[in-house]
Amino acid sequence: MNIFIHELKANRKSTIIWTVSLIAIFALFMSMFPSFAKDADEFKKLLEGYPLALRKALGVNLDTLFTILGFYSYALTFIVLCGAIQAMNLGTSIISKEVREKTADFLLTKPVTRTQVMTGKLAAAFASLVITNVIYLAAAVGIATQVTTDDFSMKEFILLSLTMFFVQLMFLAVGMIVSVIVPKIKSVLTVSLGTVFAFYFIGALAATTEDDVKRYLSPFKYFDNDYILKHASYESPFLIAGAVIIILAVAASYILYTKKDIHAV
Amino acid sequence: MNVIEIKNLTKTYGKSRGISDISFNVEEGEIFGFIGPNGAGKSTTIRTLLSLIYPTSGSATIFGKDCIQFAPEIKREIGYLPSEVFYYDNMKVKDLLKYSASFYKKDCSKRMKELAEIMDLDLNKKIDDLSLGNKKKVGIVQGLLHEPKLIILDEPTSGLDPLMQQKFFELLEEENKKGATILFSSHILSEVQRLCNRVAIIKEGKIVTVEKISTLKENNYKKFKVETKVPLNKEYFNLSGVNNVAVKDNTTSFLFKGDINTIMKKIAAIDITNLWIEEPDLEEIFMHYYEKEPRKL
Repeated sequence: MNIFIHELKANRKSTIIWTVSLIAIFALFMSMFPSFAKDADEFKKLLEGYPLALRKALGVNLDTLFTILGFYSYALTFIVLCGAIQAMNLGTSIISKEVREKTADFLLTKPVTRTQVMTGKLAAAFASLVITNVIYLAAAVGIATQVTTDDFSMKEFILLSLTMFFVQLMFLAVGMIVSVIVPKIKSVLTVSLGTVFAFYFIGALAATTEDDVKRYLSPFKYFDNDYILKHASYESPFLIAGAVIIILAVAASYILYTKKDIHAV
Repeated sequence: MNVIEIKNLTKTYGKSRGISDISFNVEEGEIFGFIGPNGAGKSTTIRTLLSLIYPTSGSATIFGKDCIQFAPEIKREIGYLPSEVFYYDNMKVKDLLKYSASFYKKDCSKRMKELAEIMDLDLNKKIDDLSLGNKKKVGIVQGLLHEPKLIILDEPTSGLDPLMQQKFFELLEEENKKGATILFSSHILSEVQRLCNRVAIIKEGKIVTVEKISTLKENNYKKFKVETKVPLNKEYFNLSGVNNVAVKDNTTSFLFKGDINTIMKKIAAIDITNLWIEEPDLEEIFMHYYEKEPRKL
């Protein structure tokens, strides 16, 4: 419990910064929506000039783009990207921070098991993500109802918003396993930005084809916003696949970490 | 009773480093020195005891319990101070010490304040702003605040000024009187000689000898260097107790153990221009131990 509280405090500053940034991106997009919706026809013509593949890669769907939810799902590609970086940072920091700040000796010579250390840190990272998402969602609902007078489905709005959380969980798990496997991570940000953008581009490429199987390659494509808007639900095969990835990565991290030699630095 | 029992402990990393077949015991209430040059395997042994690394083979027990299997339980009674100070930056000294104390199921705040006073440590400073020596003090307080029964120190004195070193040694002696057993690793012989009852000497991953300090002192070698006008015959100092004779131009050096008068008479009989008598350093003491074995070249 003391590890959890300590780590949560250590994450405090970054959690606040990320939450505020995510809300700011959302607000920025939403501030553009009214004028964007007003000139919908002209924008549509303009965007039709772009090749379909490019539009798909960018996540632009002309059928829905000019509704608040459609516009939001476009904005979400960027918001989720940022959220993924936050989660990856958290995940990668769990173990690598100990090595870099030379605190592993401190924690692991205390009367705790490595599993307890890992659990405390993971729980703190998870809690930071939950806090980020709760505040983000509350702010997003608030802002969205301000900018549009149209009725929109709150369920779909929440479903869309929560995709960030699930993508974040996947990146948290990926970051964690990376930090256990890579012996010394000098800069968390380089590793996490690299990984997140790599997956982002894989996802963008996968989106240009209609092949659903390729979507499994990138956590960014596990949630298809068009599908969510159509069915007001997630696609269960991808939910299951996501859960499996998370469970496997976390379990592997635990196993590797408890067996690992902690060397002096 | 033995607080630490190490049996045939081996840890190999790839080819070179590591320790092989280390066995020794540390008895309750003693200050046990663990000396050897850098890279000899002192930290590896200590880190294995603390289950930071896992042995390739062999085992060790602390308080009669396997040091890997019962690690969390054992560590309740261990205070550890590593050679290099670690510590979360961006934290106040006080907060770090409280965090450290929160792992032990007892109230450590009184002892924490006492120790900080003894070590002259400002609790309200940020760890970031501290000098190396002051960070070391944080380490010392952190390692001792829960009044552990076993204190493990891995080259603890680096970075401490002589005055603080003195205070630190007094603190350790006090803890020892209260019943704490201390394992003190160092590459500085004088430190170990001052504090410890017994020592284990390690080199290249192997224990060379485990001896009482008193025995080591009886074996006290002196290092002689004699400068003469003409080169001496190497055979001149060929008498019992003389080792490692080396003649280089007009300078002859050797190690001597035994009645100092004998050797002084021998030196007095020749015409010398200069004379040095020194305490041998650790390396030379090691050499003495290695003579029993074929020397590796």
